[in-house]
Amino acid sequence: MGRLNRRQFLQKGSLAVAAAGVASAVPGVAGLLSEEAPALGSETSAGVDAAVPSMSEALVARVTDASTGEIEMYFGTSSTTVRDPQLAARLVRAAQ
Amino acid sequence: MSSHREAPEISKDPVADSTDLYAFVSPENNGTVTLIANYIPLEPPDAGPNFYEFDDNVLYTINVDNNGDGIADIVYQFTFTTTLRDPSFFLYNVGPITSLSSGNWNRVQTYTLSSLDARGRMATLGSGLPCPPCNVGPLSTPDYASLAASAVSTVGSGIKAFAGQRAEGFYVDLGVVFDLGNLRPFQGDHAGWSGTGLPAMAAGVNSTKGVNVHTLALQIPMEQLTRDGRAPTSSTGTIGVWTTASRQQVRILEGNGGGPSGMVSNHGQYVQVSRLGNPLFNEVLVPLSTKDYWNAQPPSADSQFAGLVSSPQLAALLPGLFPGVFPNLAIYKKPRADLLAILMTGIPNGIVPGFPGNFTGSVQADMLRLNMTIPPTATDQASNLGVVGGDNAGFPNGRRVFDDVVTIELRAIAGLTIPLVDGSYTPDPAAGAISMGLTSGASDLTAMGTENYLDAFPYLGQPYSGYNAVA
Repeated sequence: MGRLNRRQFLQKGSLAVAAAGVASAVPGVAGLLSEEAPALGSETSAGVDAAVPSMSEALVARVTDASTGEIEMYFGTSSTTVRDPQLAARLVRAAQ
Repeated sequence: MSSHREAPEISKDPVADSTDLYAFVSPENNGTVTLIANYIPLEPPDAGPNFYEFDDNVLYTINVDNNGDGIADIVYQFTFTTTLRDPSFFLYNVGPITSLSSGNWNRVQTYTLSSLDARGRMATLGSGLPCPPCNVGPLSTPDYASLAASAVSTVGSGIKAFAGQRAEGFYVDLGVVFDLGNLRPFQGDHAGWSGTGLPAMAAGVNSTKGVNVHTLALQIPMEQLTRDGRAPTSSTGTIGVWTTASRQQVRILEGNGGGPSGMVSNHGQYVQVSRLGNPLFNEVLVPLSTKDYWNAQPPSADSQFAGLVSSPQLAALLPGLFPGVFPNLAIYKKPRADLLAILMTGIPNGIVPGFPGNFTGSVQADMLRLNMTIPPTATDQASNLGVVGGDNAGFPNGRRVFDDVVTIELRAIAGLTIPLVDGSYTPDPAAGAISMGLTSGASDLTAMGTENYLDAFPYLGQPYSGYNAVA
C-alpha cells in the first residue's frame, strides 16, 4: 500500500479539487487534456505518443457526468476530477 | 456494542471496523499515557486456516487533539505488510511457533508506525515492526505470552508499540440490549416481559467472553502529547483522542491472483470509513441512516450531531420500555447539557465535586478526553463506574480497559447526570441502579472473572486460543 497519511491525503484531496477547478475554469487546460489523450478504441500500442508519461500502475477513470464532461481519476493514492466533455464522450462511446 | 458492527456498511468490512478506544495514564508508568484502538469485532479464536489479521490496504490511525479544536495535532499511523515465508505451503504454520522469526510461521505481518505533527511533519517511528501470530492453539503457539511480549517494540523517543491479537476486553450483554433494550436483572419491569415465561430477574451474560480483537496500542511519554511539549498542567493537560480507518476509493477485483492481497488492486486517495471516540456514540445516538456518514466525518464537524446528543432517542424510549420506572425522565424535556458536556466538550472544572474536569473548549467534538494530570487510581480503590463512581481516573475521563462503559452511559442517558447541570432535577431511583448484571459491583474490575486484563502494557489479556474456543 502506498504510504500516505490522513492529513496528506486530505491535502491532496484539496489539491485535486483545486486542479479540477483550474481545469474547468480554463478552457485551454481542458482542451489540452482532451487533445493529448490518445484516441480510444485503437488497440495499437506501438504508436503511443511520446508525450504520454509512463505509468507504474493503472489509472482508473470514472465518467460521473458525460453531459458536463466530469471525469474522476484515481491514480496511486490521489484522486483528481477534471471536466472534458470530448474525452468523456469518447470514453462513453468506447465503453459501449 | 461499543462500536462493533455499529453501522451498516462498516459492519461488512470488519478489518476496518473500530470496536473500542481506550486512553488512560499508564498505571505502571505514570509519566506516560496509553492509547489503545481495537479493530475486527468478535473474532472466534479458532477461525483458521486464515486467521484474523490487519488489512494491508487499510490506513489505521490514532489521533490526538491537544488544543481543543477537534483537529488532530498528532497522528499516529499504522500501515501493515503481510508476507508468506513459504508461499508453496497451504497453512498458517508448519510447526510450533516459538519465536517471531520462526520458520514454522508462514503468514507474517509487520507494520510501519509513523507520526505526523500539526505542521505536517512526518516521522517514521519504526518500520518492519513485528506483529505476533494469532493464538492458534497449544501445539502451534505453545508459549503465547512470550511471543506476544516479544512483539512489544520501543520506537521514537520512549514510545512502546504493539499491534496484534488480544482478548476482547469490552463486556456487554448483547443478547438482551438489542432485544428491545432489555436488561436481564430488571426484565420483569420491561413492557414486553409479560407472557414471555422469562423469570423477572436473571444474571447477565457476557456476550464477548471468549472472542478476540486486533489491537493497536501505544504508550507515549506525556510531554510528547501536550501542545507545549512539556509535562501536562491544568491548562495543557487534557487531550482528545479518536481512531480512524481509511480505505482507498477504488477497489478492483483483478481476477489474476498473485501476492498476499490476492486478486485486488486499490486506487485513489484514502477516505475515512470508520471512526471512534467515546464508546457507544455512533451506536446509540446516531440514526441508522446516518451512521456510515458519521464514520466518515472528522470530530471538528460534530456540531452537526449535537442535537442527537441533547435529545437522545434512547432517553425518550426508556419510559416506554420500562413503564413506571422512569417517571421523572419521562417529563424532562430540556436539552441534555449533561450529555453534551460528557461527550462533546468535556466536563468543566467545578461541575463534578472533586473532579478538575476535562473540558477542552466550546468546540463540540466526539473525542475521548483525558486529563493527564489526574493520576491513576490504585486497583483496590478503583471503580468500574469511573467518574460517576467517584473515581476520576476512569471514563469519561479517558477510558480504562475495565471501565463498565455501557452501565455508565445507560445511567447517564437515564438521567443520573442531569443534576450536574440542572439542580432542579431529581433522577429516578432506577437511573442509579441500571446494570447489565455483569459485575459484582463497582469495585469488580474483572467482570466477575470473565475478563483477564494484564497489569501492564498492552493491558488487554492474552487472546483466547483456538483450542479453548467456546462451543
